[in-house]
Amino acid sequence: MNETSKDQDKEAGENQTVISLEGVSFGYSPEHPILQNITLTIPQGQWVCLVGPNGCGKSTLVKLLNALLPKSAGEIVVCGQKLEEETIGYIRQSIGMVFQNPDNQFIGATVEEDILFGLEGLCLSHAEMESRLHSYTQRLGIDHLLAKHPGELSGGQKQRVAIASILAMEPGIVIFDEASSMLDEGSRDELMGILHDMRAEGKYTILMITHDADEILATDRVLALQGGGLVADVTPAELFLNAELLERCHLQEPYAWGLAHELQKRGIQIDVPASEKELIDTLWP
Amino acid sequence: MNDKLLLGRSIETGSWVHKLDARAKITGMLLYVAVILLSRSWMAMALLALFSIAVMISTRIPLKYFLKAAKPLRYLMLFIFIVQLLSVKEGSVWLSIGSLSLHDGGLRLGSFAVIRMLFLITFTALLTFTTTPGKLNQGLEGILSPFKKLGLSPDRITLMLSIALRFIPTILDEAQIIMKAQASRGADLNELPLKEKGRMLVSLLVPIITSAFRRAQDLVYSMEARGFRMDAPRSQYHRLRWGAADTVFVIMFVVMGVAVSLV
Repeated sequence: MNETSKDQDKEAGENQTVISLEGVSFGYSPEHPILQNITLTIPQGQWVCLVGPNGCGKSTLVKLLNALLPKSAGEIVVCGQKLEEETIGYIRQSIGMVFQNPDNQFIGATVEEDILFGLEGLCLSHAEMESRLHSYTQRLGIDHLLAKHPGELSGGQKQRVAIASILAMEPGIVIFDEASSMLDEGSRDELMGILHDMRAEGKYTILMITHDADEILATDRVLALQGGGLVADVTPAELFLNAELLERCHLQEPYAWGLAHELQKRGIQIDVPASEKELIDTLWP
Repeated sequence: MNDKLLLGRSIETGSWVHKLDARAKITGMLLYVAVILLSRSWMAMALLALFSIAVMISTRIPLKYFLKAAKPLRYLMLFIFIVQLLSVKEGSVWLSIGSLSLHDGGLRLGSFAVIRMLFLITFTALLTFTTTPGKLNQGLEGILSPFKKLGLSPDRITLMLSIALRFIPTILDEAQIIMKAQASRGADLNELPLKEKGRMLVSLLVPIITSAFRRAQDLVYSMEARGFRMDAPRSQYHRLRWGAADTVFVIMFVVMGVAVSLV
């Protein structure tokens, strides 16, 4: 295969829609809908951020994608498969989910058992399980923790175990449901590092729920939900330049952006930076 | 090491007991219960103590960990001893105060009950100390597999047991947090009279149960998100292998049973 056809294949892969929702609604009762008529598509390889005020239906939406909750109406297609009773198994293999509380998603009694839980469910051979166990624990820097119990791990380490458990199952789509909200600053930076590495690999489509402005800034696309409906589909830059949308989503602009805007108001000519580091480098080259 | 962490957790030392098949250890423990019930004399008790301590030492786990396992039940043991002491009226009287008389038989039966209970708890802790929960599950599944024909689902039972065991420390943590939250609002359980304590404990139960349900729901999401489906086929990373050492281990308990019933 020559380079041009490889590039074409890669491009085709990147543009392929892996998640498609058409008129999806959900509610515990018809009188109180939680999500209404959601229509969207997400192409392969994109890092998408889901934002919105508490209770707007973000977590519900991602739980609908792999049938953790049953949709009330509409159509969901994941990796070319329409979500139905017969395809739930395939779709759950295609989508990995990392939840908010690392304590409540630890299934095994040790790190090793927790990672093996998903692999054993895939009915893999012993050699394949061993290879994935060691490969993903090394990659996430937790290979020395295999015999540890959840009580012996920090919050950041538990979240790494949760991510390793999911990545070891090799899903094409990984959902992070406020996965950084219970972590300290250091662990949060580590998590973002892992996400950047995943994007660089290009084989993952990432869907992330967060309220953190710096995390939103790192993504490719922002989907904003409010009152159970999709109210905006924008880039992070467009979101942070739209004061009304920021207010509706209960968000604040990133610290570096706010500082740059204040400096601009005081007559200092400065471009809006992508990060605090970039702002510092601009001010003190 | 935190007492709470000892609950249902293994302590790796690489001893010969650690290397045994979980099915052999579970069978051994079941036979041990029979051995305890067959021990009815001081000689049998001494033999039982010698055997139990020797096996515990051979695991290379410090004996204090085994004692820690029995510590939470110390008041129950004391209660059983006192009840036996006061209720059994066999043998000669060795102490008499007014209408209260303590007999030799009561002292003997009370001591036997406490010794039996102490060894039962400490020795069965050996099972969880030397076996990882995963292997314990596999062992239980193996032992229960013949009951499949009766409609029993061993994998469901072992899954329930492993999750229950896994959640004990988490629920204890939660209880501590709720107790501290209530204490910070002036309702310190330790400083209340007994009647109030009872009422407070009931008010503790509601948030603990609610929280346990929430955690259970999250765990179900996590399991389902990793493709778990009850009764779906699964492969096993660790396979159990029965060897000569396992047979010897089980025979040891049979021999002990015969020995204590003879002395």
